[in-house]
Amino acid sequence: MADDTLPTCQKTVSVLWPAFLMAGLATILFFTAFDPAVLLQETRFADVSRLGAYSTGFFLFWLLTTSSCALTCFFRKPCNPK
Amino acid sequence: MATKDPNKSKKSNSLYASDATIYPRAVSGLFAMWRSIGVLILLGIYYIIPWMEWADRQAVLFDLPNRKFHIFSLTFWPQDFFYFAVLLIIAAFALFFFTAIAGRLWCGYSCPQTVWTELFMWIARKIEGDRPKQIKLDKMPWNAYKIRIKATKHVIWLILAAYTGFTFVGYFTPIDELAVRIIELSLGPWEWFWIIFYSFATWGNAGFMREQVCIYMCPYARFQSAMFDNDTLIISYDEQRGEPRGSRKRDENPVEKNLGSCIDCTLCVQVCPTGIDIRDGLQYQCIACSACIDVCDGVMDKMGYERGLIKYTTENTRQGKSISLFRPRILVYASSLLIMILGLGYAIATRIPLEVDIIRDRTRLFNETDTGLIENTYSLQIINKDEQAHSYTISASGINGIKMRIKSNIIEVASGEVRDIPLRLQVDPYDLKARSTEVMLSVIANDNPDIEIVEAARFLGPTRQR
Repeated sequence: MADDTLPTCQKTVSVLWPAFLMAGLATILFFTAFDPAVLLQETRFADVSRLGAYSTGFFLFWLLTTSSCALTCFFRKPCNPK
Repeated sequence: MATKDPNKSKKSNSLYASDATIYPRAVSGLFAMWRSIGVLILLGIYYIIPWMEWADRQAVLFDLPNRKFHIFSLTFWPQDFFYFAVLLIIAAFALFFFTAIAGRLWCGYSCPQTVWTELFMWIARKIEGDRPKQIKLDKMPWNAYKIRIKATKHVIWLILAAYTGFTFVGYFTPIDELAVRIIELSLGPWEWFWIIFYSFATWGNAGFMREQVCIYMCPYARFQSAMFDNDTLIISYDEQRGEPRGSRKRDENPVEKNLGSCIDCTLCVQVCPTGIDIRDGLQYQCIACSACIDVCDGVMDKMGYERGLIKYTTENTRQGKSISLFRPRILVYASSLLIMILGLGYAIATRIPLEVDIIRDRTRLFNETDTGLIENTYSLQIINKDEQAHSYTISASGINGIKMRIKSNIIEVASGEVRDIPLRLQVDPYDLKARSTEVMLSVIANDNPDIEIVEAARFLGPTRQR
């Protein structure tokens, strides 16, 4: 597998960094369309500030995009041993 | 640009290991001067802009907590996302345009990664000395001297990084309040978090990761070669003139020794911030900072040779062909840019700080009232995008004798507020010419007739019986 020749550090960065970029984009698009203060007003998180909601939203998006990038790497493993 | 895979090159691969730190040597010359000017202007803009005032508020404030962006006299709301999208497309096309003409200008002179790296390297050189001293210092065993020098450097780097992080957050929360609250240690958790996060990102990127960001993380570095053609400015070593390279004394005639102009002093490698040898040809790692041009020109001057052994040139010039500035891709990039900039400028200049949306009641097409009129129900949404509150007058037109049933046709809307107003339109069926007729709803500010929006809606009714 070609990936084995990559240093672990580069493998990690190649998962986290694209995920970070896309999470940033997703955060901008999502919170432009939806105001967190309105989304959360009927919930138990009604007291969360907008800045807090944006930040939490960003990290949740990052978690999501990281999972996606990591799964891509995982499935690149060859199925056949040879 | 060259397609050399950084992972296959032994040197680049080892960049992830700690033993391959690059110590770029200080360089002076024409291009170094331009870069310093660029760095100073850009850093000045970054650090000064949040402190500028405009009409009793921060001139440039991306006020995320209140969901509005202030840019001097303009205020943008989330509904104005369109402008932001166009602005990003303009930025992308500008990048393509300049890349096609002059290569990696962005990387060499104006990328934040370059700008802060220059600043951090300048500080490191002031404290640790130039390349040879830095190498010596790092090889030295840990002693009081080394600890003192290293600690001084990191303390200054960290102070600068912290101020950078503070300034960054100051673009999103009013910076004067932020400064007061930081002194009182009364910031919210997320403000602390982002200041510290951005400070560490600055410290790490400009202090340690440097060229690795360009090589491994930058998406632009990977695709910029797509904008290149044979007329794009590149930094290139004149192999025909330079080879065979070799050392010689200043008064020796290179022709007699069968040598080219390159004296193999390796200064071009020592000044390179990405640690490549430009004499190996055009490489993906080259960020076109032109440090090698400056240093080589200095060497050529000392040797009494002609300058330009390493220089800005194009593939066509190297092959002795003429160069052309007006080639299709440049014209396409330039005209798209021009159209978008003019369009965006026009749209922003004529922008009305009011938005009106009409939503038809979807549950039923129309009603018949007791008096035999046909009635349609709508929900009118008014968004006041102006800095101050306005009262608006609503009126309907489009069908003879159209009547509007509304609580009050004068509506107060605060700055930034979104108001939903239910309203019904009534029409005598004899005035209806078709099943679906266009009606106009006009919303006009009472204190400023320039703020008016006329929005079309459909009025549905029964077919007319003849």
